[in-house]
Amino acid sequence: MWFRAHLLWFCQWCNNSFFGHGIRDSVWLFPFVEIFHLIGLGVLGGTILVLNLRLLGIGFRGDRTSDLAKDVRPWMIGGLAVMLTSGFLLFSTEAVKMYGNWAFRWKMIFLLSAILFTFTIHRKVVMSDESRVAGISRVLVAVISLLLWAGVGLGGRAIGYVTTSASSVTVSAP
Amino acid sequence: MWFSNFLQWLADTQFSTMMRESTWAEPIVETIHVLTLTLFLGFAVLLDLRLLGITLKRKPMSEVLAQFNPWLFGGFAVMVVSGTLLFCGDPVSFYNTHPPFFRIKMIMLVLAGLNVMIFNLGIGRRVAEWDTFPKTPRAAKVAGIVSIVLWILIVAAGRAIAYVLPPP
Repeated sequence: MWFRAHLLWFCQWCNNSFFGHGIRDSVWLFPFVEIFHLIGLGVLGGTILVLNLRLLGIGFRGDRTSDLAKDVRPWMIGGLAVMLTSGFLLFSTEAVKMYGNWAFRWKMIFLLSAILFTFTIHRKVVMSDESRVAGISRVLVAVISLLLWAGVGLGGRAIGYVTTSASSVTVSAP
Repeated sequence: MWFSNFLQWLADTQFSTMMRESTWAEPIVETIHVLTLTLFLGFAVLLDLRLLGITLKRKPMSEVLAQFNPWLFGGFAVMVVSGTLLFCGDPVSFYNTHPPFFRIKMIMLVLAGLNVMIFNLGIGRRVAEWDTFPKTPRAAKVAGIVSIVLWILIVAAGRAIAYVLPPP
């Protein structure tokens, strides 16, 4: 209960913040931020696909996985930073609505799990010597990573479709 | 005139009606279109960054091209097919948006295709000459920059289309 109350308070604060207000009241700012979100999606998703295709052994087989990871890591982190920033701005325009949106909740659960997984187990397997990790665990790690990130993407797509029907909390002041 | 007749004919087909009226067709196809950005846009940007000499520098250019191209063509095919399906749902409105974001997007797609063609006929054909150079030649850098800029604008125009289409 304590957690929920604070979460709702945070959503209300975002809703009423200057950026929440500013983006909501502008005709073109929302789509403008969305464009950054989409380009971040391409870059972040692209780097994650490269690494997972390598782990699965169906692409980039000429390279050591750890070499590929070193090359794409700055772009993966940059893409994630752009996605988190633009995503937070988009969220802040209708934060209270998002509080009651089940697709948004699932997206956040998947996002948290995906980030944790990527920077712990996934990273460890990607960076370790190919000969010292069993093929099956490389495949397993790649599949889990793909499923978690797919959950984030599908959750994101679903937000727009359930927002009208599943919002349990109404916005107090526009 | 024949073209607007064609669009009207397309809009009246059973398939177009199905795309428009089905609850699931449009969300599913649009989700595929958007999430395939990870494969297509992501890989295109990585390849362009290699052309600029920014990332994947230890790999010969020819190897990067050979490894990325099948995925890029596959991703592009998915983008074109899903995009065409979305267009079929409401061809007349897509073609006539104000401002003309759809036409701008199509023109930029053609320019992006020309950029790939020029690269393949020019500096890309002589890739063996600069395959392992730490610095890529100027023509390759130009191709990389043009490609990144065009794809970002194409994404932007695509997003903008959704805001100027009449509601279903």
